[in-house]
Amino acid sequence: MTTPPGMSDATFADGLAEMRSVVGDEWVFDQPADLNTYRDFYSVLWGEPEEKKASAAIAPANVEQVQAIVRAANERSIPLYPISTGRNLGYGGAAPVLSGSVVLDLKRMNRILDVNEGNCSCLVEPGVSYFDMYRHLQETGSKLWIDCPDPGWGSLVGNALDSGGGYTTAGYRGHWEAVCGIEAVMADGELLRTGMGALPGSETWQQYRMGIGPCLDGLFRQSSLGVVTKMGFYLFPQPEAHLSATVDVFRFEDLDEMVELLNELEYGNVFNGMPGIGSPVLNQDNPIAMSIVPEPDEFNRMVRESGLPAWRASFNFYGPEKVIRAQWEYVQERFAHFADVKFGAAEPVRFPIDPPTLERVQKPRYGIPSLEIFSVGSRGFGDFNPSDGHIWFSAVIPRSGKGIIEANRVMRRECERLGLDLFMFVPSVTCWTRSFVLFAAVPVYKDPARNQHLRESVTEIIDICADHGWGEYRCPPAFMDAVMDAYSFGDNKLRRVNEQIKDALDPKGILSAGRYGVWPRHLREGRGA
Amino acid sequence: MITRREAIKWGVVVPAIAASSQAAFARAPQGLDAFLLDTRYVENLPAEHAAITAIRFAGDVTRPWFDTLDHAWRRRGYVLGGITGSDALFVLEVLAQQHGRRVVSQQQLGEKNERGVYPVSWVIAPVHPSVTA
Repeated sequence: MTTPPGMSDATFADGLAEMRSVVGDEWVFDQPADLNTYRDFYSVLWGEPEEKKASAAIAPANVEQVQAIVRAANERSIPLYPISTGRNLGYGGAAPVLSGSVVLDLKRMNRILDVNEGNCSCLVEPGVSYFDMYRHLQETGSKLWIDCPDPGWGSLVGNALDSGGGYTTAGYRGHWEAVCGIEAVMADGELLRTGMGALPGSETWQQYRMGIGPCLDGLFRQSSLGVVTKMGFYLFPQPEAHLSATVDVFRFEDLDEMVELLNELEYGNVFNGMPGIGSPVLNQDNPIAMSIVPEPDEFNRMVRESGLPAWRASFNFYGPEKVIRAQWEYVQERFAHFADVKFGAAEPVRFPIDPPTLERVQKPRYGIPSLEIFSVGSRGFGDFNPSDGHIWFSAVIPRSGKGIIEANRVMRRECERLGLDLFMFVPSVTCWTRSFVLFAAVPVYKDPARNQHLRESVTEIIDICADHGWGEYRCPPAFMDAVMDAYSFGDNKLRRVNEQIKDALDPKGILSAGRYGVWPRHLREGRGA
Repeated sequence: MITRREAIKWGVVVPAIAASSQAAFARAPQGLDAFLLDTRYVENLPAEHAAITAIRFAGDVTRPWFDTLDHAWRRRGYVLGGITGSDALFVLEVLAQQHGRRVVSQQQLGEKNERGVYPVSWVIAPVHPSVTA
């Protein structure tokens, strides 16, 4: 059995024995076949000595058991790595950042504690998946929607803590932004509730996020400071209808104004659904990977010869049908002055959605979880083998036309120079309303030599992006230190303050050591090596 | 933890479903609760054989998961066999692990395509004490 770094076998065995007494023998996993479950299937270190692996895993059933486990770990300095369902493949999966950690698997804590129809909110435990929540809402006849990522097999809590995103409307599709109220077990085993949850008897835990004083929710985002055991979310009331529409323009020069106008309309609440900016002419070879943006003359020649639009803005409207039709009409008025502009719109989809329609739509746009993305390659979109996998590269870039073009060119040129494959490349993802996120999916292999090249290349890309002022908002464990290093203002004051908070709240460094580049004091110098 | 008895039991199953897809289904063994058929790789098979329900899908595991497996895997027992693409098996394997189940046997049935995906026959059985029959 692997033991945590620097720990004697006897101390570790003693700690595990106490944890067994808390949860029962069958919920402690320390055999190789069981621990295989807690590997990162998309690890860029797969099969190498440095691959991040758990020493054991333990699955508590309730908050009291979590508290007892954390206390047992704290007494002996045993590192714990909490996961909700551990399905954020491409960002680390169920594997710990520090090898030898005990994975605290919260899958059994899967109760939906409350769904409040009037307040349009819910309170859930971390093991509740998007499928669980969707099924609950369907079976209870709820008129509320979840917003889910794609695929939708993960946990509401886990995805929000990772700052995941979905596809419906502003205020919901940025999953961290939809959180209202957190309960967490701290490293000393005590229980913290944030916001109005700190006020005994309050009925407003899922209504007012801030409570009083500093808002502490952020302590738990991508963090190593607590084990989140309950989380509240705002839910979207089912709209009457959805309308999707597109605006096509045909000149290279149109992009800046197109993005500015799209921003104004979204920030002014003229539309509420997730927008998109793409380039049909640059996506003609691959609908999920934009090719490099050429110089204006060449670009405009490609547009003329292909007849394809230079740029396409897509709009999504959710609400009463007559309202969203009027909103779309207004959007068309605002874009009418673009040369040769073309508008397109589908007939509105009304809810509840009928089964035949359901089969042909992108389900996450309607808060319906799906696993279809794993078979997307079979329809010819790129070279995607889900069993080898991929990692996500996700950099925040300016929300402007200039931002798209510069990020596209830098990434395309540098990836070509480095020989880094991309099977998906979208420079302007809009899950988060005030910036673009450049998304690139980088294939991972079960071949150490290819993965070494991948790691070196991605690390170089992180530095190149940082030189341009672009930082990743989320990343796989192998790159967390490099990404945190890039946020270097004030001699890396951000990381140093995070370390001070870590030392204060978790002085023995037992929780999620190394997550997002924040290491406990005793591992800081070697960063867990 | 899979028991010796279960290992023997499913060790018998695998050769039976590891031949060609047609022969595999025709020889589907007793003891399976359902059979998952990926129509990208198997066609023209009856909806039921030897009282084993065949669930069809075309690569996307969403409906089998939501309609059948998510329910079935919350209860004890339920042994699932399948002939699917390896991409679908990967998804099922991850889902199974969270429900105390494991791929106890698998065999490649054909060549990899350009994406590295290949047809595979397999059995997923309960292994954790909380779900073993």
